[in-house]
Parts: sequence; C-alpha cells; structure tokens
Amino acid sequence: MSNQAAADTKEKVCWKEYKLHIAVLVIILLAELVIRKQTITFSNAQYGSLSIGFQPFVFAMILGLIAYLAKPIKWVKEKESAAASGTMLIFIGPLLAKLAIASGYSIKAIIAVGPAMLLQEFGNIGTMLLALPIALLLGFKREAVGMTHSIGREQNMGLIIDRYGFDADETRGVLIIYIIGTVIGSVVIGPLTGILANVLPISPLAYAMATGVGSAGMTAASLSTLIDMFPQFETQMSAYSSMSNLLTQVDGIYMSILIGLPLCNLLYKVVEPVLGRVTKRGRRNAELLKEKVKEAE
Amino acid sequence: MAKMTIKKEHLKMTSVLDWLLMLLIFGVLTLIINTFSYKNPIIESIPGMLVLIAITFVGMLLAKLIPLKVPAIIYISLIALVISLPVCGAVSEFVYTSTSKISTLALCTVILAYSGVAIGKSWAEFKKMGWRGIVVTLCVILGTFLGSALIAQFVLKMQGII
Repeated sequence: MSNQAAADTKEKVCWKEYKLHIAVLVIILLAELVIRKQTITFSNAQYGSLSIGFQPFVFAMILGLIAYLAKPIKWVKEKESAAASGTMLIFIGPLLAKLAIASGYSIKAIIAVGPAMLLQEFGNIGTMLLALPIALLLGFKREAVGMTHSIGREQNMGLIIDRYGFDADETRGVLIIYIIGTVIGSVVIGPLTGILANVLPISPLAYAMATGVGSAGMTAASLSTLIDMFPQFETQMSAYSSMSNLLTQVDGIYMSILIGLPLCNLLYKVVEPVLGRVTKRGRRNAELLKEKVKEAE
Repeated sequence: MAKMTIKKEHLKMTSVLDWLLMLLIFGVLTLIINTFSYKNPIIESIPGMLVLIAITFVGMLLAKLIPLKVPAIIYISLIALVISLPVCGAVSEFVYTSTSKISTLALCTVILAYSGVAIGKSWAEFKKMGWRGIVVTLCVILGTFLGSALIAQFVLKMQGII
C-alpha cells in the first residue's frame, strides 16, 4: 500500500462509482455461486494424485480483469479501474483487522513461536538463491539485482529507485517484478500454496507464517487457501499470518537495506561470471554491458 | 523513497464520510457472500462486520491525525490486536466471537474482485514484459514463500512445537 494509492483515494469519490460496485456484485456472485471452488486432480499410478484447488477469489480476480479488458463490457473502464485501486487501500483494512484479531486473541501462541516468527523474516534470502541464478540464465544482468533482492513490492521499489536512480537497470528490474507481481501475484500464490502444501512435508503452521511475505492481497490469497485445506487450524494460522504480515510491514525495508540488497550484490558478483555466460543471450548482454561501462568511462 | 513525501492535509469531513460509505458498501457486499456462499446467518454476522468496519475506520483516522509516516494498515492491525488480547476480557471475547462469523474467504473474494478491476490498468504494461520477466517473477514469489516456510518449519521443529 503506497501513499500514491492514498493520493488516488483522495482525488476520487469512490463510493459514487456505482457502476464499479454493481459490477463487483455481479462478479462475486458469479465467482462464489456459479463457478465456485474448482479442484483439478492429476493422478498418476506411480506417484499418487495431486489436487489443486482454485478458490472463488481466483475467479473473482480474473473476472474483474476480464470485465475491464473485454471490449463489449462498457460498464467497467478506466474510471472504474482507477476507483478500484483507490478502494484497495480501504478494503484491505477489514481483512487485516480480522486476521489481527486472531493474533491478539492467541497472543500466547504467538509468543511461543516467537523465534520462528522472527527468523522466517529472513526468508527473502531464498528469493535470491532461487531467482538470481534463473534470472542470470535468462540473460538479465544488473536488472537481476533489482528483480531478486526481495519480493519487489512498493517499499522495495522505493528503495531501489532511491539507491540507483530512476533510469538504472536495477530499477527496470524491480519495476518488471512489481508490475508482473501486481497482475499475477495474488492469482498464482493461492494455487501455488495448495500445491506446496500437498507435495512438501512442511507444517501448515510454517506455511501460515510464510503467507505474510508479500502484499496484503497475496497474504489473503495464500492464507485463504490454507484455511480451506486445514480448517482445524484457522485461528492459529490467521494469527501467525497476521503477525508475519505486520512484521514484514515494519521490518521489510530494513531487511532489504541491510541484508537483501548487499547479499544480492555479492551473489551477483560471484555467480554472474559463471551462470551469466552459459546462454547466448547472457554472453551477448555481458558484451553490451561491458561496452556501456567503457562508454561511461 | 520517491513518493513518500506527501503533504499532510487537513482532515476533511467529506473524505471521512467517504470512507464510511465505502466501508458500508464493502460490508454489504461481504455479507451477501458470507451469507449465501459461506452459510453464516446474516443477523449473527452483522455485529462482526461492524466491528471490522469500526477498527478500519479508527485506524484510518489515526493515520491521518497522527503526524507520523505510519500507514493506516499498521494502525488497523495494532488496534485489532490490542482489543482482542485476552487481558481485555469481555471486549476481547465479543470481538473474537462476533468476527469469527465473517469468513476470511468471503473478505478475500470481495477484495480480489476489486483488485482484478484495478489491475486492468496495469495490463498494457504487463503485456510488454515478456515471458522471461514472468519466469523470474514466479521464482521470486516461490523463493520468498518457500524460504520463509522452510525457516519457520526448521525453527518450529527445533522448538518441538510441531
């Protein structure tokens, strides 16, 4: 949630956008009562079966996007879309309140898992370990640092722009992640959580702590999937998720400044000369970067 | 922080009224889904919805009134957390029980429907990004989520909690 969104809300009188609210009413009714939850099951004699649940919220989001993009639907266009981004800042409130109530109510359980709660904040080291090598193999150079130093939400974007400037490669990288993450983040993290919880022997409680890492929408999508799968842990998981989200809001920027960015730069220095030259695109971009540096000198 | 320097404006009555109306619209939409899809009786759900709306409203007010660069969502989370601490006794009990009638999934559906319309604006930019960016984004999300979950799992195991 950036202050930019706050500025948008100020400009637009959102409740008057009746077209938007009626469109959303139709969308949520379609998603919840017509499409409903869909489960896709892959079964294989050798490995057993894997079920992926697609919750109604995934369809609600896709229908919202379709309503905007579909040419015949004139009811939802630029004005409504702008108003909708203004509403996000307000509407995320009741959800975060609901989750934080679970946190307060089960504060003892949270204190008991304090060490795990604090340490899982370092999970963004996993981001660069997995994503930096892939980005380098795909031929990204300095963009890769902006892309993989953190999960790339508003505050991380602010940091990279502040550090490298608006036209830098690193900034282009973080913008790529920010835009793509905005569009696909909440849609993919629900099913992704479902698959991981099915496949890996990790406790739902550990996953619940991990749901707090990204944007509020991603937290909601990921946690809702867990609640649907493990309803017996609902309060506990909501409590962990909310606390983890709150921690990320508070420490996320410092995690990036003190750990994410320096470590990612170090990793880049070590790994780029190897992985960055494996693919043709990687070698070509390395040449281009060398020339650019020479010109600058 | 490029966009973090926005002047604190005076709190306008109209904008306060705006928030309330918006939250009421949100409440109605959520209650519809909460009743018809998640089968929570509507009469029992209204108090919980009002609690969530009230917390959000107070949180937003505080963010406006207190001259610190703290986003509303932090105030909202903190208020909700504090009033439901067990030391608050009957208040905590009421807040927890009433809001337990509001399904998290119902809240999520309404929010993400708006979010779907909102991301429409980013679609043109999104299309220009190319598949490489999408692959890296998926790895970034997976890496962060899995990184946190693995650390949490490890520490919870060490503590003997799971």
